[in-house]
Amino acid sequence: MEVLQYSLRRLVAGIPLLLGVTFISFLLMVYFGPDQTYQLLGKNPTAEQIAEIRAELGYDQPFLVRYADYLREVATLDFGNSNSTGELVTDLLARTIPVSLMLILPGFLLGNLLALLLALLAAHYRSRWPDKGIMAFSVVGMSISYLIVIIAFQVIFSSSSGLGWFPVRGWNVHSLAEYLEYVTVPTLATVFVALGYNTRFYRSVIVEELNRDHVRTARAFGVPPAKLLYRNVLKNCLIPIITRVVFTIPLIVISGALLVETYFGIPGVGKVTFDAITTGDQPVLKAVVGLTAVLFVLAQLVVDVLYRAVDPRVSLS
Amino acid sequence: MSAEPILSVRDLVVEFRTEHGVVRAVDRVSFDVFPNETVGLVGESGCGKTVTGLAILGLIPSPPGRIASGSIRLAGRELVGLPESELRQLRGRDMAMVFQEPMTALNPVFTVGNQMMDILRRYKGLSRSQARAAAIELLAKVGIPAPAQRIDEYPHQLSGGMRQRVVIAMALSCDPKLIVADEPTTALDVTTQAQVLEQIVRLQQEFRMAMVLVTHDLGVVAETCQRALVMYCGRVAEQADIGPLFAHPRHPYTAGLLRSLPRVGEAEKQDLAVIPGMVPDLLDLPAGCRFAERCPRRDARCDGELPDLDGDAASPARVACFHPL
Repeated sequence: MEVLQYSLRRLVAGIPLLLGVTFISFLLMVYFGPDQTYQLLGKNPTAEQIAEIRAELGYDQPFLVRYADYLREVATLDFGNSNSTGELVTDLLARTIPVSLMLILPGFLLGNLLALLLALLAAHYRSRWPDKGIMAFSVVGMSISYLIVIIAFQVIFSSSSGLGWFPVRGWNVHSLAEYLEYVTVPTLATVFVALGYNTRFYRSVIVEELNRDHVRTARAFGVPPAKLLYRNVLKNCLIPIITRVVFTIPLIVISGALLVETYFGIPGVGKVTFDAITTGDQPVLKAVVGLTAVLFVLAQLVVDVLYRAVDPRVSLS
Repeated sequence: MSAEPILSVRDLVVEFRTEHGVVRAVDRVSFDVFPNETVGLVGESGCGKTVTGLAILGLIPSPPGRIASGSIRLAGRELVGLPESELRQLRGRDMAMVFQEPMTALNPVFTVGNQMMDILRRYKGLSRSQARAAAIELLAKVGIPAPAQRIDEYPHQLSGGMRQRVVIAMALSCDPKLIVADEPTTALDVTTQAQVLEQIVRLQQEFRMAMVLVTHDLGVVAETCQRALVMYCGRVAEQADIGPLFAHPRHPYTAGLLRSLPRVGEAEKQDLAVIPGMVPDLLDLPAGCRFAERCPRRDARCDGELPDLDGDAASPARVACFHPL
């Protein structure tokens, strides 16, 4: 009951955030984004043709009317048809979001779980050589550009001059075997980079917790070192970890992984978003921006409820 | 006093490596604790009393700290040099520690019962329900009202005094031979202090434990201990039974400490006596007696030579001073 009440209150409190995000993004789209009028018209259009296409695109309406339309679209989840392809925006997203999720999720999960594992090891052996080794690896992962990692991994694993084990690009997935074939190299690249950032972050969180008094108490009562980490420390560290993990979810669901999708030629939502930005495909952009904002509000809610589950000192009232 | 000491510390030296050099935080400290006896380690902050306590449990953070030499025997078993895995098995079972900061000493995300039962299950092999019953019994024993409810509460729901009682209950849970209590009442308010202290004395007698009580508070020592060691700059200045120590302190430092205590009901109101000067820097110790600088009885010998404790380990009273009172 407490959780339900809190959730409702939080969702209502999320409305100003939604309004703010959509308003600013829409302002940018309308006044600073590309204008599609002339892309859709042939050569030498007449004034009537221009007026007609602008009316079709909704450009002739006053800004506030268009913004109100946008809000109605977010509320009903009906964003109309893409200006570029004419496909229903909801269909477009329903087709591409699952692809992005399938592409990103393995890397996201492995990147976090392995990082947590490495961070626990590093924290346990802090300032000794396993720690130094793991941290050196992590700095390497952080320092090399994602782009370089993608290209290097493509060369190493996919090209004929490398191992040539996997396809370089594409997404022709009908079975688990094909899925693994296409997802492996992007996942390796994502994990490599994510490990760098995550390990470092998680290690500092764990080390901070290890220095607390209650850990000394646990040691004074003979808690074995491994148990100290997974029982006496891990749960205490979960708040910053949950925050980081949950807040990345909206980004990977909607924005996808633009770089990975572009470089591996995968038709995910990141690619769709990128194309919509460059061409000024407002229906698609409105949907992506609106949904991202909604997901962020939901993520905030989930994070708060999880805090409560993890730390009894957190109150939801 | 029975013949065999529970704890026997001999010539303990603990060093810390710092950026500025090696600091000897504990310098050749020796003492015994017998069954059913409370021994006080008294001194100002930085005198090595807490480090001595931690060293007994093998909890000196390493690096930078280490036990450089000496011996610590618990019921005849040598602890110095024992592998960490074996030492760990003794912690919480044969020896336990109560810490200074009850507010932070417990894990905030687990219930009190959870933390207590963990120890009981690990060392006594109790089932969950047995451990729970034992934990409730222990909470009642340390004077926590409604223990059956309290056991499911989290530390932040308890007061400081309650939390310290919980830690004491944890320390008692496996009938340890020895308890090291590091300033157990310092962080509590005065009325709670008195209650917790009383509880500690009562439990120590009930469980017939040996206890090392680390404190800066001579009042606490007078109320709880049978004997005390007065420490200064990592060394023992004086050690004696409580009665003689308070009635006839022999080391000028002990005498100074006692004079700086306020006395209730003193006829004439006077300013409290102060020991002049400062504790020397552990990185830059004088060649002679470490208290010489602040001592009214200092002479040339005190500046050149470091006094050792007189007598031997069996002596009832020892003092490290060339010119004892």
